[in-house]
Amino acid sequence: MSGIHVVWASLAGGLVGTIALTSGLRIAQEVGLTRMDIPLLLGTAFSPSRSRALVIGYGFHALNGLAFSLVYAGIFLAVGHTGPALGAGLGLAHGMVSGGALLNALLPAVHPRMGTPWTDSEETPLLEPPGFLLANYGPRTAIVSLVLHVVYGTLVGWFAAGL
Amino acid sequence: MQPRRTDGYAPIRDYALIGDGRTCALVALDGSIDWLCVPDVDSPSVFGRLLDAERGGCFELQPVEPFEAERAYLEDSNVLQTTFRTASGVLRVTDLMALTHRDDLSPLREVVRRVECLSGTVRLRWRVDPRFGYGTAATRLERRAGRPFAWAGADALWLSTWNLGEQRFEGEAELAAGDGAVLAIGVSHGEPAVFPGIDELVRRERRTHEFWPRFAGRAEYDGPWRDAVVRSLLALKLCVFAPSGAVVAAPTTALPETLGGTRNWDYRFTWVRDASWTIDALLALGYDDEAHSFFWWLMHASRRTQPRLQVLYRVNGSSKASERELALDGYRGSHPVRIGNAASEQRQLDIYGALVSAIWLYVDDGNHLDRDTAKEVAEIADLVASIWRRPDSGIWEVRSEPTHFIQSKGMCWVALDRAARLAEQGELPGGHAARWREQADAIRDFVDDEGWDEKRRSYVRATTMRELDASLLTLSLLGWDDADGDRVRSTVDAVRRELGHGPYVYRYKGEDGVAGGGEEGAFLTCSFWLVDALARTGRVEDASALMDELVGLANDVGLYAEEVDPRDGSFLGNFPQALSHLALINAAVSIARGRQ
Repeated sequence: MSGIHVVWASLAGGLVGTIALTSGLRIAQEVGLTRMDIPLLLGTAFSPSRSRALVIGYGFHALNGLAFSLVYAGIFLAVGHTGPALGAGLGLAHGMVSGGALLNALLPAVHPRMGTPWTDSEETPLLEPPGFLLANYGPRTAIVSLVLHVVYGTLVGWFAAGL
Repeated sequence: MQPRRTDGYAPIRDYALIGDGRTCALVALDGSIDWLCVPDVDSPSVFGRLLDAERGGCFELQPVEPFEAERAYLEDSNVLQTTFRTASGVLRVTDLMALTHRDDLSPLREVVRRVECLSGTVRLRWRVDPRFGYGTAATRLERRAGRPFAWAGADALWLSTWNLGEQRFEGEAELAAGDGAVLAIGVSHGEPAVFPGIDELVRRERRTHEFWPRFAGRAEYDGPWRDAVVRSLLALKLCVFAPSGAVVAAPTTALPETLGGTRNWDYRFTWVRDASWTIDALLALGYDDEAHSFFWWLMHASRRTQPRLQVLYRVNGSSKASERELALDGYRGSHPVRIGNAASEQRQLDIYGALVSAIWLYVDDGNHLDRDTAKEVAEIADLVASIWRRPDSGIWEVRSEPTHFIQSKGMCWVALDRAARLAEQGELPGGHAARWREQADAIRDFVDDEGWDEKRRSYVRATTMRELDASLLTLSLLGWDDADGDRVRSTVDAVRRELGHGPYVYRYKGEDGVAGGGEEGAFLTCSFWLVDALARTGRVEDASALMDELVGLANDVGLYAEEVDPRDGSFLGNFPQALSHLALINAAVSIARGRQ
């Protein structure tokens, strides 16, 4: 399979995977497994209006999903192998980095409306920080997030392997 | 004043609070910091002498000679200044928790104690005795970078001193008039220690000194008792957990409601019930940002359990608050010492009224609900319409069998009434509004039929408990009936008559299911609710006279605990209590409005 095919197929997988991840997260919210709302967290970095933030957040999250699928494609090409199992493994690593560093440490550092462990009385943030492994949003959040990232990775790997 | 201790414990009244929006420290009149949890207000203590004089740990700083002490906060700030007078001289200690900026490299948490000798000579002694994990973790003492350093697991604490010779956890030094020194405690949690230089530390001190008056100066209040209102606001701000916007009920745990008794609860959580009072007070004083931050946190924290609400949430938004007991002696032998709070698992119907009332106030301030929030609120109203007939544990979280508390039913009415009004305004989906109004009317009939005692001319505590309950005052405050409606007015009178004792008001005098609880003190919030209710029922002069008395009951720095012992005025319960200060603010605002 050509490199350009892997890239396009990964992008398609990234789109489907992002839809699956976002939908899964919404379902998890509705059934009370987590308070994690990635579109809201991302969107409120740009707007304090909850409605506007959700629109921006969904768009931003979709772009992130596509961008990450390109990273996956790069790894597939580097190791010369594709497939759902490798995708799932990358998804697991992606989920761990996402819960352990991206959302926990980096997002609060750049998000203008989110508290951090260093936020003091001088500030009045509108959003609580996720905490390590996103535990502030519910004890099962880390598991939900990991499972959904594995689903995302599996889909990207599956698409890249040509279904 | 001559500081005193009993078996190593200072009176609760002798404490003042400093903090930084993440955690707080209690400073006793004799200069000892006896309570500090790190890194956050609900984390384990590193100084916990408040709950165990032997094993808790503390940071003592005082003259070696016998002394008298007086203190005050610097004007409109949370910076505490204590003046020690000895036979040989006068010493002043300025205590603060430093505010930092996220761009500065500073310790995660920092307590700064600046010492100045004002006259004569004074020999000073200090002793830092860190005991991590509520005094139960193995604390290791070492030296790092020339400083005394203590650590346990991921936590570390160190002392930096200037002008006191070799840096040690314990020592003495003689200061003459004009001499000054600084002692600073730094804390880290899960990150490398940051050792401060004096220049950076002075910058943080200045930043802290400048922030508090700027914050207090935003208060839009020119009514009576302004100093008490601003002090309450500043105390409330210390109860705000800045990283999330949550407000703790108090920054302490297990201070007893009866000396030697078992009512020793952990208040380092946010109670949904306080939501309405909090938003009301913050908006009334013009602190819209803080009110919005708390509102966002509240709606976000409760999302996982909605439409059902948990009674309380942790400041980080978690719903886990399992209760356990620590092997500590407890304040003056009052044990068990509990952390966590089992009340989180109770059914308390009044919290729905508190939440929807808070939302009503938020919208009334000119805000709008987004579609998701509106849907959530409508689901909460649907739930209330279907569960209000069930028994609950009530506002006082009694541990006896659930029953039909009248105040709980009244708050369910508040929830449905406000929801119906929000729907009329187009803020909530209106599909179920007719049912909400119908059920609100049914609640009103139930309360008037089952909860009214004609002989006493008052509503009663519960359908199965025919005595009075001070929480019934809240019906007047939250718009049950017209403010000066006959039944509300006579209930206010009956509460004052039967539960009042001078300026004090007891919560109730009946059963609450707490074994060994003993006779509790008078509940200060109820006294302020009485003031508020008197003002709202048109008796502003009565309310003002009572308010004068209550303002005089604060300690020397203007703070209130949860309860007070009417026999000697000593404070009981967790300290300082946010609800007492919220009730003070709302009572003062009601009187100011009544006078207009």
